[in-house]
Amino acid sequence: MSMPESALIIPGLKAGKKAVVVFFVTDCPTCQLALPYLNALNRDSVQVIGLSQDDESSTREFVKQLKITYPVELDHGWKMTREFDPQSVPAMYLLDERGHVQSTLVGFDKKGLNELAKALQHPPIAPDDDGAPAWKPGCGSRHLEPEAENSAAENSITFLRRAGDPATRITLRGEEDTYEYCQKQFGDALPVVPPTVEKVEAMVKASGLAAETVIARIPPFYGEATVEKIAANAVMAGCEPAMMRVLLPLVRAACDERFNIHGVQATTHFAAPLIMVNGPVRQELGFWSKQNVFSNVARANSSLGRAFQLILLNIGGGRPDTIDMSALGNAGKFSFCIAENEEENPWEPFHVTRGLKREQSALSLFAAEPPRGVSEHNAPQGKTVLETISFALATVWSYRMCLMPEAIVILCPEHAKTIHRDGFSKEQARQFLFENTGIPVRYFDPAERAEGTQLIANYKEITIRGEKCYQKFRAPESISIFVTGGTAGKFSAVIGSWATGPAGSQMVTYPIPDK
Amino acid sequence: MAITIVHPGNEKIPKAATPPPRLASLKGKKIGLLDISKPGGNIFLDRLEEILRAKYGAGEILRTRKPTYTKNAPPQVIEQLRGMDAVIEGLAD
Repeated sequence: MSMPESALIIPGLKAGKKAVVVFFVTDCPTCQLALPYLNALNRDSVQVIGLSQDDESSTREFVKQLKITYPVELDHGWKMTREFDPQSVPAMYLLDERGHVQSTLVGFDKKGLNELAKALQHPPIAPDDDGAPAWKPGCGSRHLEPEAENSAAENSITFLRRAGDPATRITLRGEEDTYEYCQKQFGDALPVVPPTVEKVEAMVKASGLAAETVIARIPPFYGEATVEKIAANAVMAGCEPAMMRVLLPLVRAACDERFNIHGVQATTHFAAPLIMVNGPVRQELGFWSKQNVFSNVARANSSLGRAFQLILLNIGGGRPDTIDMSALGNAGKFSFCIAENEEENPWEPFHVTRGLKREQSALSLFAAEPPRGVSEHNAPQGKTVLETISFALATVWSYRMCLMPEAIVILCPEHAKTIHRDGFSKEQARQFLFENTGIPVRYFDPAERAEGTQLIANYKEITIRGEKCYQKFRAPESISIFVTGGTAGKFSAVIGSWATGPAGSQMVTYPIPDK
Repeated sequence: MAITIVHPGNEKIPKAATPPPRLASLKGKKIGLLDISKPGGNIFLDRLEEILRAKYGAGEILRTRKPTYTKNAPPQVIEQLRGMDAVIEGLAD
């Protein structure tokens, strides 16, 4: 971190006292998390000053909502920001009595906050057990954002604004076929419905929000997903206007940093975001959860999945012919949306397992490999069905790679029924799969240097059917059970993950607002 | 017949960053080697470091590493590389 050589005149700062100066932006989740912790430090002997890189109205709202008790100033034209030159925000500077920088702290870091408090002879301000993570990276400082060529003013804020620009209107005068034009410019590889002004306006109206409202910025290009742009892609994918109710939380979920859509879009792996829908919205909007659930069977599933993919391509920039460099791709990149067959599920629905109420509609997102089928038509016992599935589970990512992968087990209603009949709760079925999925130790020869072999020091040895194995998964939570599909056919499926946990993509579940 | 559609894509075209001038020589230069944490990256960068020292007479070589290849480098890692004459980001797979 570069530091100004000499003391600076910071608005609101009185000389002769130690001070903490914190630069922030209002829409940064890490700033929202970190800044309230500094309330505790603002007392007679220490000054805390917030310097906002945003405009007055969003800063006022930020201070009010987060109950910030120390003075906050606007950093007009990012003047002070440029002096301190932080790479990201929140950026905190501890200044001595003469205004010289003593130490800096970037992002949210409990250890760092407590060290900052200690330097000010204050007890720790960030307890381990308050529910917040130990560490969370911040967002880019606004002054370092690449300025768009076509942005209006010199210092226009192009990062995480509340209201974006209206979408350009393109008038086609018949020189080229409208369908050809739209497919070529904005399609996947298939024709799209032209996003006419009337159709897009109807879609925007159904959202109940202003057209320019920014829902998220979508990596890897960080395009602004305004309601209007989302609506235009929804029209192209063939969505009905009521689908906006699902699309907006879906875009928010995708841009949740836990999901890491940046990595999912840019990886050479197979991963594509799989949308899993639960709750009353299934009936209300016609999401299909029976036979052919992964196929081309219902407008709701297919159009939502396709709209989402078009949003990722057109707004996020993850085009499959350039930025998305997946070695083999995934058929789910056309559309990848399933709903749970809650009516045939003998256990609680998936979104209830994920912590929501049964009557709450919800969507979950998982960075998914394509499904691989598991046939088991002979075994009469639920336990044997689970064992059959465990053999498929052992192969996700690759056979000898343990601990890192996660998986969704898609149970068909017939298998779910058999397993339930034999007394397994959903949790017990998951536990059984966890304990019985492993790879025999004899398949690991370090000399071969095969993928997964280099990590055996971390693997746990267990015994399965009398054979020494390495346990495939790191925890029962690495396996999720989702019941869907038709009531005839004992075909389940296993879906592998991309890289998981905080260093990869974590599954997210978002509520869908009621009608 | 004219038809008007709504632009569905990202309309903000980022300005291309201007690369710094090319170094005339690597002799005595400070070189940062950034490992993105893919398996094998260290093997590749170890060899590169040897070559940079032996063949090109590079000066200080600073090795650093992203916590995960799946995400952008955190600011702490970028900060470490500030002041280098050149940075080589090591990809491996």
